[in-house]
Amino acid sequence: MTSLPAALTDSQWPRSLVRQIRRGRDLVSGDDPAGIHEVEADVFATRLAGVDRLLDGGIRRGQTIELVGPRSSGRFSLVLELLAGATESGESAALVDLGDHFDPQAAARAGVVLERLLWARPRRLKQALGSAEVLIGGGFPLVVLDLGLPPVPDGRGKESAWLRLRRAADDHQAALLIATPYRAGGTAPQKVLDLGSRTSPVRALWARAAPRSPRLLDGLATRLELAKSRGERPGAAADVELRVLTGSLRRPLPGAPSRQTENRHVAGTPVEVLRRAG
Amino acid sequence: MKAALFPLAAYLRGAPELAREAVVVHEGPSARIVAASRLARRAGVRPGLTVAQARNIESGLVSRTRDPEREHTAQEVLLEIAGAFSPRVEDGGEGMVYLDLAGISPASAGNGARGRSKTAADTLLPPDAGNDEHSLGQSIMRDMDAAGLPGRVGIAGSKLAARAAAALPRSPNVVALRGEARFLAPLPLKSLFEDGSRDPDPARGDDDQEILHTLKLWGLCTVGDLAGLPAAEVHSRLGERGAALHSAARGFDPEPLTPRPPPLTFRESLTFEWPIDNLEPFLFVARGAVSRLAARLDARGMGCKRLELSLKVEPEGLHELAIELPAPTREARTLLSLIRLHLEAEPPRAPITSMQLLAHPDVPRQAQLSLLGPAALSPDRLAAVTARLLALLGPNRVGSPRTRNGHLPERFRLADYDPPPPPRIRLEPRPGRGMLAVRTLRPPVEVEVLTAESEETARVAPCPAPLQINPLPTEDRHVRIEGAVRTAAGPWEIEEGWWREAPALRDYWDVELRDGAVCRIYRDRTSERWFADGVYD
Repeated sequence: MTSLPAALTDSQWPRSLVRQIRRGRDLVSGDDPAGIHEVEADVFATRLAGVDRLLDGGIRRGQTIELVGPRSSGRFSLVLELLAGATESGESAALVDLGDHFDPQAAARAGVVLERLLWARPRRLKQALGSAEVLIGGGFPLVVLDLGLPPVPDGRGKESAWLRLRRAADDHQAALLIATPYRAGGTAPQKVLDLGSRTSPVRALWARAAPRSPRLLDGLATRLELAKSRGERPGAAADVELRVLTGSLRRPLPGAPSRQTENRHVAGTPVEVLRRAG
Repeated sequence: MKAALFPLAAYLRGAPELAREAVVVHEGPSARIVAASRLARRAGVRPGLTVAQARNIESGLVSRTRDPEREHTAQEVLLEIAGAFSPRVEDGGEGMVYLDLAGISPASAGNGARGRSKTAADTLLPPDAGNDEHSLGQSIMRDMDAAGLPGRVGIAGSKLAARAAAALPRSPNVVALRGEARFLAPLPLKSLFEDGSRDPDPARGDDDQEILHTLKLWGLCTVGDLAGLPAAEVHSRLGERGAALHSAARGFDPEPLTPRPPPLTFRESLTFEWPIDNLEPFLFVARGAVSRLAARLDARGMGCKRLELSLKVEPEGLHELAIELPAPTREARTLLSLIRLHLEAEPPRAPITSMQLLAHPDVPRQAQLSLLGPAALSPDRLAAVTARLLALLGPNRVGSPRTRNGHLPERFRLADYDPPPPPRIRLEPRPGRGMLAVRTLRPPVEVEVLTAESEETARVAPCPAPLQINPLPTEDRHVRIEGAVRTAAGPWEIEEGWWREAPALRDYWDVELRDGAVCRIYRDRTSERWFADGVYD
């Protein structure tokens, strides 16, 4: 493989641009005729190192991945991280939110560019599947189908519907993430990730700002396991810690007065004024 | 340009399955035939006969009543075709459209046939003369054929000459420049009137019948005979109308072409042969009309922003629907889905006898393609996607989420999905912060909470700590928040809208239940009721 010109490796060039030039050069020169060294444009990362390592960098276009996790397992947090990564890089994304659980304020704090996100709020599973298929067919590069909290209305749905969805994602080269409280996609997804399995249950993290101060919810510690992956042995796992961020509803600023707390203003979100009673 | 057998062509445009049948279109109480298809004419059926007479000639004849709605739509289609060739278009009615081709085609030249000829056909330019008018005429005829309205084209310096040229066989016919008078001279006098195929209708009550009669009494037979008379004498004897006819006979237009303003809407109409009282048959019939409407919008490079559906129901009712689209689209499938959705929500209360679709056009959004950055969504496809989602999920169920000022966690706002253009190169996302998200419960789930109520806690804290959460028997939501509380933190107070009659005053708690679920609950101070409004996930 020939080396890149020095001008291109100069740090003043955007890395993504250099990668794309490198890929084009490899394709033209025959060093990478199959396009094995894919650029990050084909991958949507969650931006969490452990999770991305488990997914070989992230979710690829044309790939269908099922993320299974009971309530309070951190499933929705991973969904928001994935959406934030995609929309921050300039891609459009769609969230099919069966449970109507999406909070724009929290999503903006997590880094989701709301203008690039299409939010569909179906009431039934059939509507959710139909919406996901329409969105994939419409050219959305990343579609997340979240089935909400258990029990899912209308059950798991038909296997054929999931297979059709996977085929649509494959045909239109869209990345599809199915986030469910229990296995629903049948044989459709290429990879299945389990969050908070029985062997490694989720732990809520509680912390005190000072020894005599009251305990506050600090986050969740969970474990993500690869339950199924075509061509790979399952069993790989990654530990994930999710924290309650400053600026969320619950979290007072360190050093703020105990009777009244004004949370930090996060770009793009309104200032929340919280008062601690008692 | 003139559509052949216009009443029949307008009908067959909406019923292509009859194209290979012997069909006639009739009108009036005596069911007199106004147009007959080729198969019917071959069998001997002619316009002017009654349907009963025609059936004696051809027993398998298909007869249909003349449909003004379809003819109006067909006329609009002809005008749109003409509009694609010239910005100045005049509606001649009854399948006739005049186009001003000045400046669009070069002035006629090489008219070697000018002068000596006696017949109308001899003053026409030969088809192989190489001029652009012939190819222009052929293009117009091709478009008419494609629209299901075949016809003929005549190109001349005056409307009368053009109309007469369009009536001749071997279309398109081009009349040589300044050869209009010679071209018109051998034509019969009745060619001067609007419908040159027959004598002026005496029932119209105009002067034309009387003028024609007078001219025949004078011994005039052809247009050339009239053109040869002194203009002042004709004017003094036949008045303004006579002078206008004389001017037309000499190859001058008595009135200039009156351009039609560009249409603000696109219309498709259908009258059903029998009333339809079921949704599926109606949609089957409507599919053709919607497809034709979409094709017309496509031809103009427009999309439909608002669709109005007007249904006539038995006996004399009207059922109207207006469908607003989130973005202009011309995808027939999407439009039909929206019609289905709206009719399912608001079905007409009686069988439908006719329908009219009115599309308000708008320019579809455009997007610049990116070379190195993320690909932008196609605006056309995006419009179709949002419209189909709207049809699938209903209003206020799809859009782009927006933040709202306030303190209540369940607040949100939906805007039309109109993403900004993608960056020129793909941006590097920031490293993830691993934020713990909350699933908002909309609306909050009411629960029963047992608290550690004691004199001391009541004195210290206004809201005692929760110990046990039970579901309410009246709560029919599928989400169940219940169990013993393992850990609780709070309370946190939220107050919003203190100036309102019913302000939101809540004491929030984070609770970890025995089954591991971490929820957010609050007590409404006004009603003293407890709710769960989020699950940490």
